[in-house]
Amino acid sequence: MEAARENPSWKSWFETYGPKLLLCARQWTRSLADAEDVVQEAFVRYWRHQRDLPGDPQALLITSVRRAALDLARRESRRAAREEKADGGLETREGIFDPLPGDGDERRLEIEAALHRLAPEQREVLVLKIWQELTFEQIGELLDISPNTAASRYRYALAALRKELKPLTYG
Amino acid sequence: MDDSLHQLENELKALRPRRPSVLLRARLERELENDEVASKHVPSPIIHTAVTTSRPPGYTTAATLRSWKWLGWQMMAAAAVALLVSLGVWQWQARSDDSPSTGMSVAGNSAQPAPSAPPTSTLVARDTAAVVDAFRPVKAANVLYDLRDEGLVLLEDNTPARRVRARYVDTYTWKNPATNASLRWSVPRDEVRVLPASFH
Repeated sequence: MEAARENPSWKSWFETYGPKLLLCARQWTRSLADAEDVVQEAFVRYWRHQRDLPGDPQALLITSVRRAALDLARRESRRAAREEKADGGLETREGIFDPLPGDGDERRLEIEAALHRLAPEQREVLVLKIWQELTFEQIGELLDISPNTAASRYRYALAALRKELKPLTYG
Repeated sequence: MDDSLHQLENELKALRPRRPSVLLRARLERELENDEVASKHVPSPIIHTAVTTSRPPGYTTAATLRSWKWLGWQMMAAAAVALLVSLGVWQWQARSDDSPSTGMSVAGNSAQPAPSAPPTSTLVARDTAAVVDAFRPVKAANVLYDLRDEGLVLLEDNTPARRVRARYVDTYTWKNPATNASLRWSVPRDEVRVLPASFH
């Protein structure tokens, strides 16, 4: 993400890192639309005010995304409770990964569904580790947990996914 | 970790996160391109600071075109146009009456007061990059500070609907690049929307 400082164009930068940020935001929001709102808020704040700050821009942005998502969740908690009562709970089916060709896409949908069923604290560590490529130390700092806890959650998440996906591949 | 976990890990890494929507990109473009345009046309650092002020933390932008929040933007644009027209008339009247202006606060260099500027409507039409001794609109913002669901109401045809009230403070700012004088106008606004209600 050093490109943010080297490349003055936000477009090319967002082209590269926007999908990862969106996936990250999706872990902490109720819908894709909310995730996009959160990414917009965090990215604009970063690009306007934090781009030249020292430190790791990736960690800064993810922290910003997470904070924006938590703020949004607090603001909307009452509305969400009403909606859940009305429609029986949130069951979003918006894809979080690019479709894969042929039969692979069926597998992609299964993985997305399995991810959806993971415990949120395990899923967020998994997403940060796999798709943001953060170390356990960075994840621990970001989520305010120890690196060991982050590593444990990651292993639990993988084990839970393996169990969910076992009938197809891991038997 | 055993082999199956490594295999799963690799399978997950092969998945590519989906790209943000075109709408999000357009929204970012609108916000960030405005910054660039403003900083190019307004060389004063004070004005630049005003333009780049971040949004309040409680504000979110509508994510879909069907969202009620778009109505707020449309109304804000309409209000801004109405304001510019009325300000032009007001300045014209002030000049023709040859009396000092009242009602709005002007900060900055008092040696060159606002009435010396040409009407704002003329300024908007004359889009020049040169620094002119006149007030130019530099910022329009609205802050949503209360959003309340006022419950069910019945329309004239007995259709059930939900009434939602949003309360804003709209703020418009003008700057005179030559003197760094600024003029800011804030006005409260209530927006009531009646949304069709459906029962399952």
